Amino acid sequence: MTTRRVFIASLLAASANPAAGWAAVGGPTYLAAAKCRDGSHMLAGLREDGSVAFTVPLPARGHAAAAHPERAEAVGFARRPGSYAMVVDCRDGTVLHRLSAPQDRQFNGHGTFSPDGALLYTCEQRVEDSEGFVGIWDTAASYSRIGEFRSHGVGPHDIRVMPDHQSLVIANGGIRTDRWDRAKLNIDVMRPNLVYVDVTGALLERRDLPGFYQNSIRHLAVRGDGLVGLAMQWEGEAGYAPPLLALHRRGAPPVLCEAPLQDELAMGGYAGSVAFSGDGSEIAITSPRGGRIHRFSDGGVFLGAVSRADVCGLAPHAGGYVASDGLGGMLLLRGGTLTALARADVAWDNHLVAIRA
Amino acid sequence: MRHLFLFATLFATPLSAGVPEALDEVILPGFSDFAEATKALSVAAQADCTPEAIEAPWNAAFDAWTQIGDIRIGPSETGALSVAFWPDTRGFTPRVLGNLIEARAEVGTDPEAFAEASIAARGLFALERMIYDADFNAYAPGSYACTLVRTITAELAGQGAALDAGWDGFARVMLSAGEDGNTLYLAPEEATRALYTQLLGSLEFTADSRLGRPLGTFDRPRPTRAEAWRAGRPLRNVLLDADAAVAQARALAGFDLPQTDAALARLHAAADKIDDPSFQNVKDPAARLRVEILQQHVRALSDTIEAELGGALGLTAGFNSQDGD
Repeated sequence: MTTRRVFIASLLAASANPAAGWAAVGGPTYLAAAKCRDGSHMLAGLREDGSVAFTVPLPARGHAAAAHPERAEAVGFARRPGSYAMVVDCRDGTVLHRLSAPQDRQFNGHGTFSPDGALLYTCEQRVEDSEGFVGIWDTAASYSRIGEFRSHGVGPHDIRVMPDHQSLVIANGGIRTDRWDRAKLNIDVMRPNLVYVDVTGALLERRDLPGFYQNSIRHLAVRGDGLVGLAMQWEGEAGYAPPLLALHRRGAPPVLCEAPLQDELAMGGYAGSVAFSGDGSEIAITSPRGGRIHRFSDGGVFLGAVSRADVCGLAPHAGGYVASDGLGGMLLLRGGTLTALARADVAWDNHLVAIRA
Repeated sequence: MRHLFLFATLFATPLSAGVPEALDEVILPGFSDFAEATKALSVAAQADCTPEAIEAPWNAAFDAWTQIGDIRIGPSETGALSVAFWPDTRGFTPRVLGNLIEARAEVGTDPEAFAEASIAARGLFALERMIYDADFNAYAPGSYACTLVRTITAELAGQGAALDAGWDGFARVMLSAGEDGNTLYLAPEEATRALYTQLLGSLEFTADSRLGRPLGTFDRPRPTRAEAWRAGRPLRNVLLDADAAVAQARALAGFDLPQTDAALARLHAAADKIDDPSFQNVKDPAARLRVEILQQHVRALSDTIEAELGGALGLTAGFNSQDGD
């Protein structure tokens, strides 16, 4: 029998924290956006076995999602460069908050939550020159914007919190884009870099990739010991076949991870996602253009390739990695072997986002 | 698959439409022909290594290659690149060949060991240098370069045979699309889509690279970036590659493609107006314009196939591969 006091207590708890935890939406491990057959868009929560924990409709195609560490809330960003982001309640797809970039800023890719879920950090660029900024939003205050700091580069695309929880790593893609149409304006002189800042935005370390200035650093993966994987997209001449992955550890130069020439050529100069394996012993990148995944050791040695058409999403899995593709496949990559977990009649969008990672 | 899940909007897609036909009528015979042609080239080179003696069989092998050379799945995913290493944006081929010849490297005398050599020193484009490039083609019978040519042709014949055999096996993978254990193609229509994507990719490569590279920019045309220009093959390759893409489209369709046929005829008509089949005159604005028109016809052919074949089969280009992030 519910006593009056318990009833009131539960009422208070509900109003103070109305949001549900991830368990309330089926306990997903990953978030993935998708395009459905009828042209509509959705966000799905997926479990490690490939089964669907939830699906909610999205009002438009999202570029990338970020998962709140505790609450069943996801942030979807507009197609870049975009002016808005949406905080979606994963129970029913309700748009809880709409984040508007300040007038002279555009969202430019990914965002990430602080480990305690109090803050959201967003990759942004200044409209007139693509100078990079990180926007800071207070999740407890209806996601109000409380500040920003420089990303120390141009066109930041991905950001992660480092395992020390005191610093952030940022991939500045280096590309200046036209404010309206994503046209690239500085390919001949672009200078991507990898930047570490503390939580106040003070620059801790900045690295570039000598000899590969047209290799846009776009996506990041971080291992528990601070090893960072950087995935690149080549903006130079087609057929050049540069390395598309590098590993970096604070204080040391980046290590380029090269595959044999014919394998690099088969990647089409494009890495779509990067992830460490579940046990952290290796790292992989996907190329939807090449329809393949390249695996490397955590020392940067090429371990092999596996093929799957339009593969792009990649995230750690207890058995290795899980990959998603534009044909609706969810696949387990264990060692050098792919097995199908599930196939949905949707096209999975670019990324698989690990929840609580 | 235990965890298979389907959404309510499932609708009927054609099951592996045209895959057996495309394999049996075009692709497998194409690889078989290429294996034969490279074998003939190697036999000719062993008899007489001089450029004059191997020019004709080399061109025959290249003709055979155009029928299946732009496919980049299965054994061809990386295997095609050691047959046809182009474009060579960093100038690897002349450098590696020059180093081999200068050092009289042992690897250049042994076809088996040569299979491990740089892909830039192997295949059709290494041979193009040896046959047509004045920096390389003055070698005498009995020289190291003569032996190297024999080695390259023998190793290329080995690649031809390996691709032919590999495709016999890979055809079974494509035909078993959707069956348990086939993780490359999780449903029958994925195999259809894979072949469809390949033929569109071939036309895109022709427009962007085979024609786009020599065209360069109006201010800076780059005629020596044309494919196999020393051998006079650029226009021939464009046409043979387009013919091959249409042959694959027809086999995949299993029905008439009148609009595609008409687009291909217009492409050939545009090609007839081009004076220099090597595109070496693209610095002349009038000649350049004719190559640009040819490029437009290649793109138009691709658009026509997308509408006429892709539309009928319910196929679209890759969601992620087409839209970068």
